Amino acid sequence: MRPENYQAISHPPSNEYELNFGPNHPGIEGNYALKVKLHGDVVVAARADGGYLHRGFEKLMEGRLWIQNIALVPRICVPDPVPMEVCYSMAVEALNDMEVPERAQWLRVLQLELSRIAAHLFTFGGHAATTGMYTTMYWGVADRDQILDLFEEWTGGRVYHIYNIPGGVRRDIPAGFLDRVSHTMDYIESRLPDYDNLFFTNQVFVDRARDTGPMNQQQALEWGVTGPNLRATGLAFDVRRDDPYLVYDQIDFDIPTEAPGDAWARTLVRRQELKQSIHIVRQVVEKLPSVSGPVRTRIPNPLAWNVPPGETYTRVESSKGELGYYVVSDGGDKPHRVHVRGPSSMHAVQVLEQLAVGARLEDVAQIMFSLDACPPEVDR
Amino acid sequence: MKEIDIPIEASVDRNRTNPLARVFDELVRFCRSRSMFMLHYCTGCGAIELPPAMTSRFDMERLGIQPMVTPRQADILLITGYVSIKTLKRVILTYEQMGSPKYVIGICSCTVNGGMYWQSYATAKQLDQYLPVDLYIAGCMPRPEAVLEGMRKLMDRIRSGEADGWKDYYRRYDWYLGNQQHLFGDDWQTPADVIGEASHYDLAGPGTEGEHTRLLQQCQKPLEPQQTFFQIGGSLEVKGESHE
Ligand code: SF4
Repeated sequence: MRPENYQAISHPPSNEYELNFGPNHPGIEGNYALKVKLHGDVVVAARADGGYLHRGFEKLMEGRLWIQNIALVPRICVPDPVPMEVCYSMAVEALNDMEVPERAQWLRVLQLELSRIAAHLFTFGGHAATTGMYTTMYWGVADRDQILDLFEEWTGGRVYHIYNIPGGVRRDIPAGFLDRVSHTMDYIESRLPDYDNLFFTNQVFVDRARDTGPMNQQQALEWGVTGPNLRATGLAFDVRRDDPYLVYDQIDFDIPTEAPGDAWARTLVRRQELKQSIHIVRQVVEKLPSVSGPVRTRIPNPLAWNVPPGETYTRVESSKGELGYYVVSDGGDKPHRVHVRGPSSMHAVQVLEQLAVGARLEDVAQIMFSLDACPPEVDR
Repeated sequence: MKEIDIPIEASVDRNRTNPLARVFDELVRFCRSRSMFMLHYCTGCGAIELPPAMTSRFDMERLGIQPMVTPRQADILLITGYVSIKTLKRVILTYEQMGSPKYVIGICSCTVNGGMYWQSYATAKQLDQYLPVDLYIAGCMPRPEAVLEGMRKLMDRIRSGEADGWKDYYRRYDWYLGNQQHLFGDDWQTPADVIGEASHYDLAGPGTEGEHTRLLQQCQKPLEPQQTFFQIGGSLEVKGESHE
């Protein structure tokens, strides 16, 4: 350090000061930063400072073939990559007027729900760690690994699968796979009471998360909040039920809601969603043997695939909220324009800036985790 | 960005001739390799495989590797994936704050050659042009086993004295700085006095100073306290662009 860089900063005579929170901070989720202004230890203003993970996805996708983009999209949201693949594939299918075989649709649902379980387990771990309970984090990560093992057997990749392609899925499930899925579901379900005891009913967590970062339903709608964060304000909106895609209309599941809209409610909604997802996976496991047929339709030569001109918007419910792809084709072999409507861009920027105000500094990380924002998806 | 050929005299200081000193060096290196504090800067998607590697399933702690929250106490800087240009500035700042000896590990193909973002306008492609990288763990993304294997390799290299990238940073600072200036602009500066540190460690060589460090000296201005980002009173008005 050069000595001249040690300078006293002249400061107005007040209790207010500014702090950089992140990008390399143990409490922050990924590579993301906040600038907070504090009075004592209460936040009076916050500004999100993103862009550390910007890669220019939407531009990159314009320069690659339709099929090559399949390898690119899962990188947009790292903890929950499957909805990205499915949503992009659905958009390309819509442009092509392509029917997806029924078996492939059920397989996609299975993948989506397994991915949701993995993502939620990871989020609980992160949220618990910000309130000082590291055991939950260790458990959550270890249980998530069970699902990653299933994915690895199924698709060959632990985190990124690149399994869904426009027109279906790449291959069928291996023999005996469904038994292992049910086994893992039994295991995770048997763990839920342990999680309840350790974390969800833990007085430390309840006291700290209650009334932290509250928002009401109207605010949530104004700010573009979707997914579990919206359901935590009492509104039962779920793309899976209200705008069914794939075979979700044949599946029976509940949409859990909570009224208070604070960090506690948001995490509790996820906890109940976990249970619903296990329920959905069980139904898929039961149904899948009776659905036969191919797992993908014939697609033209992917290296010279000119998709008919047109534009489309498809959306799915990811573990973070509503995820949409707006894709425009000009008839060429590459997309003309792709826009990704990621749920986290709303949650981590405008919502977090608002919710952090009034919270104590040590709760800011907790609020961010309870919103389950995914920084790579904010920056894209 | 031109390559400069500088004789790397790493092997000279690797083995001192005095037998007692050699025993002592050996001991120091052994201890260093067995207690590594790791600062993982989650620069990219590879970071998602670190929690499994650190927690109960693969358990890095049994190798003596622990996460550390501040750069000044950390030994390893783990770059977990692509580095965008905005991140790279912070990474360099972080690296220069770490105390020597320090080691850099680049996880993921993106740090090696740009990986799947080879044509992106926003990422830096080759990490070792800007920082001395001791070890790369390739893969997209590397599995936790691969991360652990990489850590074992680094431990071996520390024990044998081969992992001396931090010395290279002092010896060829001019070249690294040139690459950084090429990317960030001529007025790029960090609070660290790398040339002073180089002479402190007795590592200043012909490549430490050069045209780029002269440029740095010309553009050097004392770091100003950051302008206030908010107006006092809590409104969200931006007073001045205090970053970037
Ligand atoms: S190599 Fe792959 S996993 Fe690693 S940062 Fe690059 S895209 Fe992400």
